[in-house]
Amino acid sequence: MFRLVAGRMLSSIGTLLFVGLALFLLTRSGPGSPARIVLGADATQQQIAQFEESHGLDRPVLVQYGSWLADVVLRGDFGKSFVTGRDVAVEISASLPVTLSIVLLAFLIALVFGLAIGIAAALNPGGVFDRLARLGAVVGLSIPAFWLGIILIRFIAVDLRLLPPGGYAPLSAGLMVHVQTILMPAVSLAVYYIAVLARMTQASLQEALRGDYVRTARAMGLPSWKVVAYALVNALPPVINLAALSFGYMFGWALIIEQVFNVPGLSRALLNAISQRDFLLLQGIVFLFTVIFVLANLIADLVNRTLDPRQRSTA
Amino acid sequence: MNHWSQALRAVDWTGWLGAAFVVLMLGSAVFAPFIAPFDPIEVRLEDRLAAPDAVHWLGTDQAGRDVFSRVIYGARASLTVGIGAVVIGALIGVSAGLFAAYKGGLGDQLVMRIIDGIAAIPLLVWAIAIVGILGVGPVQIGPVALPNEAKIVLLVGVLFSPVFGRVTYAVAQRVVRADFVKARLLQGARHRDIVLGDILPNCLSPIIVQATLLVAIGIVIEASVSFVGLGVQPPSPSWGTMLSDARSAIYSGEWWLPVFPGLAISLTVVGFNLLGDAVRDLFDPRSEARTLVA
Repeated sequence: MFRLVAGRMLSSIGTLLFVGLALFLLTRSGPGSPARIVLGADATQQQIAQFEESHGLDRPVLVQYGSWLADVVLRGDFGKSFVTGRDVAVEISASLPVTLSIVLLAFLIALVFGLAIGIAAALNPGGVFDRLARLGAVVGLSIPAFWLGIILIRFIAVDLRLLPPGGYAPLSAGLMVHVQTILMPAVSLAVYYIAVLARMTQASLQEALRGDYVRTARAMGLPSWKVVAYALVNALPPVINLAALSFGYMFGWALIIEQVFNVPGLSRALLNAISQRDFLLLQGIVFLFTVIFVLANLIADLVNRTLDPRQRSTA
Repeated sequence: MNHWSQALRAVDWTGWLGAAFVVLMLGSAVFAPFIAPFDPIEVRLEDRLAAPDAVHWLGTDQAGRDVFSRVIYGARASLTVGIGAVVIGALIGVSAGLFAAYKGGLGDQLVMRIIDGIAAIPLLVWAIAIVGILGVGPVQIGPVALPNEAKIVLLVGVLFSPVFGRVTYAVAQRVVRADFVKARLLQGARHRDIVLGDILPNCLSPIIVQATLLVAIGIVIEASVSFVGLGVQPPSPSWGTMLSDARSAIYSGEWWLPVFPGLAISLTVVGFNLLGDAVRDLFDPRSEARTLVA
């Protein structure tokens, strides 16, 4: 077990190191110097050289990467934004809560509805729920989240005037107002994952209910809900695995969804950083997304290997 | 032959429906110039924002372009990116999986850890960052100028490769230990012939299933990246950019602008998903529900 965890951690760290390097090579090779963009078109050669020197941009890429990495690992310091001069961590912490609250609400919705629909469908094979779940899975898997967002804005916000069509209110503005602004983005994001999780829950629980121990438990006269509870415990590992992966993927799609609802989250910060060639901010954001995704993958993998005895031996 | 006709009879109507959608979209992409009644790019301001009628079946957009023609041409970008990325991902992933399973030992470990690493890279963020940094201009390879989508095809392909690497590896590892492979080795068969002639054919069915399902994901990714302005560049028609343009119509009420490009994406994705499920049932009826997620 320890060897497995250590091995997967090493692989994850390797990914992060490689990703960090790739980010450096990529940003430094792209067209457009940040100095030109920050200082404006009429900056002199000297001013540009000075800017590049003070930000270390004149050094070889590998040296820049090394010192960035050392700062990140040793001091948790991601550097300063070229444009605003503020710490990258401060810049990110301004927009991260927006993205995080949308993703968390979406994850919660996906988990609750995905599990509920999956269980209901598995308990009534061939019944109404089963058919609805199958149809819903096909539909849910095929509607792009950003299209759903546009349609929701049209009907819920413009026609019915139930929710604001976009924008964002922080939690400090009141829970109701906050949830009103993130509800539609979260639902658009969640629908695909409701379908994914419901499908997995249904398949896994149906398989578990066919187990010999379920028949034995039934024969021994255990109450039906207890039998289902036992089967559910055995059916959960692949669902948890998928949920962890989904959580990581949701951040990526949240970038697109935030554009639809005009929300000032990481998506706007990232696109601004790209257009202003604000390399350190850009690196910080992409690195953050990658860390979240790597962690989600790691958790999914470990859940799979530890909760599911069939997978343990293949470690 | 009898075997196949028997198997095909087992495919239920959802599978055929999926196949029909896929054929419809492939047909639109290939024969777009013959199907589309109007030029998808030419601006005709006198026709702008016309509701669907007998002339413009799906209405016209802000620049007076026929939505139906643009949806038909948009299939080209979607399918090129979806299928192109899957082909690249399959080439990389399948070779890696075969190599790791056949070689074993340190090479196996190394390749599979690299696959784990690639699988842990978040696709959309990287697609946005890379295209954002490199710019949306064409890719110049020697005398050939590929459109911006080439970057997306390549990146999505690389990031799809772990899926193929893992399914190939899982099957190939079992096959490598099979007696017939040992027998082939004793016969003095060349390694290349064993890998490509004996091991690969056994891995094909899960590869085809994953490929079909991944095309659907690739199509949504193309649409999403184009939607934020980093994919297909205007005025070229793409379902993602059409939806992006349609955002201004949300308030003014031209419902056909956001509805039809979105329907085109959904029908194509439904098609590939249903087809993928049917192919899986055909090849391996006992396998569990797919765990592919994006």
